[in-house]
Amino acid sequence: MNQTPRLVISWLLVAVLLGYGIIQTLITAAKIFTS
Amino acid sequence: MAILSVLDREHTVAPPGYSRWLIPPAALAVHLCIGQAYATSVYKTSLVKHFDTSQTAIGVIFSIAIVMLGLSAAIGGTWVERNGPRKAMFVSACFWATGFLVGALGIGTGQLWIVYLGYGFIGGIGLGIGYISPVSTLIKWFPDRPGLATGLAIMGFGGGALVASPLSRQLLSLYDDNYDPGNSASVAGGGALVALFLTLGIGYFVIMMFGVFNIRVPADDWRPAGFDPATVKQKALVTTNTVSAANAIKTPQFWCLWVVLFCNVTAGIGILEQASPMIQDFFRGDDGKSTVAVAAAAGFVGLLSIFNMAGRFGWSSTSDVIGRKPIYAMYLGVGIIAYFLLATVGHNSTVIFVLLAAVILSFYGGGFATVPAYLRDLFGTYQVGAIHGRLLTAWSAAGIAGPLIINGFLDREGKPGTLTAEAYRPALFTMVGVLAVGFVANLLIRPVAARFHERSESTMEAAK
Repeated sequence: MNQTPRLVISWLLVAVLLGYGIIQTLITAAKIFTS
Repeated sequence: MAILSVLDREHTVAPPGYSRWLIPPAALAVHLCIGQAYATSVYKTSLVKHFDTSQTAIGVIFSIAIVMLGLSAAIGGTWVERNGPRKAMFVSACFWATGFLVGALGIGTGQLWIVYLGYGFIGGIGLGIGYISPVSTLIKWFPDRPGLATGLAIMGFGGGALVASPLSRQLLSLYDDNYDPGNSASVAGGGALVALFLTLGIGYFVIMMFGVFNIRVPADDWRPAGFDPATVKQKALVTTNTVSAANAIKTPQFWCLWVVLFCNVTAGIGILEQASPMIQDFFRGDDGKSTVAVAAAAGFVGLLSIFNMAGRFGWSSTSDVIGRKPIYAMYLGVGIIAYFLLATVGHNSTVIFVLLAAVILSFYGGGFATVPAYLRDLFGTYQVGAIHGRLLTAWSAAGIAGPLIINGFLDREGKPGTLTAEAYRPALFTMVGVLAVGFVANLLIRPVAARFHERSESTMEAAK
């Protein structure tokens, strides 16, 4: 069975959610050293 | 209820060739959603204003949820093992989503007790069942790398707050034009809070169904390609025998590990609980004003969350290579040094302070993520999920002890907004002592005595 599309979609969902959270947090965290 | 039989364990056995790399994202789909529990501070001020009540009364919502997490994980662990991960994830999704919907009803009607019942009690059950639901399945799919597998899933619980915090702020600004997502003191109206809870409840249910759809248990005779169980057996402390959950709690190893987790979490919560005011207090000038702005302190909390999350994956994966007992010796031993340095030289530089706090938080996360693999090593895979559920009562206890220690000392030292680095020293040195107790408890862990092992026939019978 070809599971590649299912693998790609599964990991993409995780990457999008975590990526959004990490980028948003890093933007806020940058204020520690720039304020 | 025949339609629900599709959720049963026997209907979730993976067909030959099913990729085991579909299992971590299924577990992450659940943990990323329930990790929202650590982002409740985003709308706390809005709830205080909406209900016209105290911070403490709103804080009780979160406390009920965490207590229910510990209780439902401890009590429901055996049920999760018996019914399999798919049914457990489905039940968790139903409780978690219903918690938000009932919570929205409480906010809409102005009845705080309904929010306690919804998000706190009902949602808390979803938290506990969801937290343990994929653990034993992951360990069975990754007998060669259990630390990596459980680290990936439990990393999601830390990551859930990273996603939910900015998402909640942006949703509130969408539902309430007067809400400023860039201002931590901004307050959203009751209508926006109801809309936020409804959106999160429905959204999380959909994402968790993704996990329910993808999760599978491996067939009994399945092994990863090229995996030789004999290589695992050779490692110290790792057993090929099995211990039931009922017997596990009678062993000294379980209680030593309980103390290890309790001490590690207590020390980590000490920093997490106080992170934002702590960085401001450590860098207070002679005029009494902090050189660290409120917005920067919020950024520090976010940065710690990233290290908490990274520690869950990084350190837990490392434990597959160096072993569980040595890595806990590192979490607790290096943690002692880090806490001591934080108390003595942490106030000299922001960079040193942030680095030390980041190391401590990465060990805090690592301690959570490595514990299922440690349990697998000591008690085998038979009821590891149920044993893990019982062990999580240490988390609930630490959730009470950590803040009590920190706040107890700080209350004696002065009022919030006037404290300095010196005021934190007694609390930080106490945490050094707490970590030392955990370090000794970890050293005392030995292989489980044979009298606690299940006979192989009965294990097979029970597994059916």
